[in-house]
Amino acid sequence: MLWTMLIKDLRRARHNPWPYLLNLALPLCITALIGLVFGPSSKGGGLGQIKLAVVDEDDSVLSSLLRGAMNQGDFKKHLEAHFLERNEAFKQINDNKISAVLIIPKGFTRTYLSGDEPVAFELIKNPAQSFYPAILEELVQVAVTGLNAVARNLRSDLPAWKEVFEKKGRPDMKGIAELMVRVGDKFENAERYLFPPLVGYEASTQKKAKEQGPALNIFAFLLPGMAAMFLLFLADHAIRDLYREVTARTLDRFRTLHDRLLPFVISKVVLAMAVVVLGSIVMFGGGVLMFGIHWQRPLAMAVVILAFGLFGSGFMAFIAALARSERRANAVNGVIVMCLSFVAGSFFPARQLPPLFRDHLSPLVPNYWFIEALRALQSGAVDMPWSWAALKLLVLGLGLVIAASWVFQRALAKGIRA
Amino acid sequence: MSLLQVAGLCKTFGEVRAASDVCFEVRAGEIYGLLGPNGAGKTTTISMISGLLRPDAGKVAVDGADFWSDPARAQKIMGVVPQEVALYEELSGRENLEFWGRLAGLTAVETRERAGEVLEALSLADRARDAVKNYSGGMKRRINIGCALMHRPKLLLLDEPTVGIDPQARANILEFVRQLGAEGAAILYTTHYLEEAETLCSRIGIIDHGKLLAEGTLPELRKRLGGDQLFVLEGNLQQANPDDWPGFRERFRIIQKLDHQLIVSSQNSRHPSECLRDLLELPVRVENVTLKRPSLNDVFLQLTGRELRE
Repeated sequence: MLWTMLIKDLRRARHNPWPYLLNLALPLCITALIGLVFGPSSKGGGLGQIKLAVVDEDDSVLSSLLRGAMNQGDFKKHLEAHFLERNEAFKQINDNKISAVLIIPKGFTRTYLSGDEPVAFELIKNPAQSFYPAILEELVQVAVTGLNAVARNLRSDLPAWKEVFEKKGRPDMKGIAELMVRVGDKFENAERYLFPPLVGYEASTQKKAKEQGPALNIFAFLLPGMAAMFLLFLADHAIRDLYREVTARTLDRFRTLHDRLLPFVISKVVLAMAVVVLGSIVMFGGGVLMFGIHWQRPLAMAVVILAFGLFGSGFMAFIAALARSERRANAVNGVIVMCLSFVAGSFFPARQLPPLFRDHLSPLVPNYWFIEALRALQSGAVDMPWSWAALKLLVLGLGLVIAASWVFQRALAKGIRA
Repeated sequence: MSLLQVAGLCKTFGEVRAASDVCFEVRAGEIYGLLGPNGAGKTTTISMISGLLRPDAGKVAVDGADFWSDPARAQKIMGVVPQEVALYEELSGRENLEFWGRLAGLTAVETRERAGEVLEALSLADRARDAVKNYSGGMKRRINIGCALMHRPKLLLLDEPTVGIDPQARANILEFVRQLGAEGAAILYTTHYLEEAETLCSRIGIIDHGKLLAEGTLPELRKRLGGDQLFVLEGNLQQANPDDWPGFRERFRIIQKLDHQLIVSSQNSRHPSECLRDLLELPVRVENVTLKRPSLNDVFLQLTGRELRE
């Protein structure tokens, strides 16, 4: 009988696939949206290089120093600075080839070193890019703060610096060296006020047990949380076919042929599980394609997803049985899913939630078992064994399916209509 | 042989008594009509018989056995046609028939053969592969009935199967139901159409406010009015009080009294002309008197004080 009902629902889906396709498009859109927000270079989970055009209209020694700094150390790792003319820089920003243009204005060095009036950089951000321009803005603000600090603390030395920079011909390296020594002395004297050694650290490098690179992908950490929420929404959408059967009176017709409702509810749960599994493939597969996530143990992951699918479908069927009408379900389901997701750590990692949630509530929530099991599988942690999480989800899911069937049958026998 | 026996069925929804002590039986080959206005308790009664609702009191026996002691056995014997079109609109007519046939316990081969037979019988073979959503209202109603016939039920419960369809489609369905009765099925047919009950049903139960007010064959029900003729008096009857008319109550039974109309039947089998003379001598200004054969509506009028069409 179960098979007959499943075939019937699959035929219905084949004749009218749009509701199902839209359901599956939801996680696809969400995954794509995340990809768009974090940009195409987010593949691999790292920050990637931010392309910046620098237009140096000042062309002085100080601006050369700033330009040089951008090609060194951590800056070089994260910044790909191109030194261009103003027109070429604007052309590249219009062509969406760079994230921003930094313009060092003419007379920058003189004005800065004389300290007579404020001087400003110009930063033109590319609105077509995601969050890279915002990072560049932050970096420029840091640089401006640094330059301000230098100007205020080394005010007495600035005329000497100005003289060195404005001297014609080759830079006076001896003069620069003397000035550098004086600056160094000042910093050395101020060191214990500026950097009191309250906390120390020792740097050491741990030998790698095995190659872990892709497992540390930040999106592999974020995706299970979001998946838990959207998979519940998917299960909710799929299980709503129960209401459609009630309003179309086909459920009544079924009940004139069979007095037990359990097979009917099970058939809907299986359908919802299938939708959840397809949604998972879209989301987690999308994670591989868009973020370069390398899922560590796909088989174990599949078991956890299946178990979560059963839980989600059973849970939504139970709420459907309690709500008794699609209108009421519309009002409560979204709130319930959002609350569960919040407590389980879909929005913020559960460890960052207040102690009441983190220590007492979150560990009781099935979404949390799912999220933590997937994260543990990915990171190799053993604090949440996936098999135990899957077992709990399976048992709870089965219990909810039986409870949903019982509550639904009871409500219908009393004559309550959806 | 009685295939369905209903005794003392009661059902209450909050303050509303939807069914109150409903009793009747349906025999093999008989079409029993449950006639009543909307909200009379017809669907509640049929829901209790088919197991959709648990009665608060009373018994339903299907083929001699209590329904609730073995629901599966009873459900195998009966086919239920709900008032609404309970079909999957995305599926074709054949797919709907086959699905409900499989759920009723037929094998795949039996289902295919039976679906073909039912489609032929319902004159829908040429549209079998079309999605139900593309059917006309009458065609949907026919498939709706067909789904209940897949497992050849001995007892068929039809809950207002012709609601909302055109006269021709209705005539087709009525003819089909008549044929099923002739083939030996016991049929419980609920309706609020007088004509359907009059032309289709061998026995009729009149139900209102959850109570079965009367039952019997059409002549038996008409006989309740006291004769073959009804007298309809028209005029200004606003101030008229029949109790003030000497001997009127002994000679006539009042079926309905309105400000402009009085319908009466003779209490004893007197000649119509004699009755007419008595009526014309009444101390009221009568503008018109007509004679008519009593209908089910008159029976309903006499039982409830209002017309079924109201």
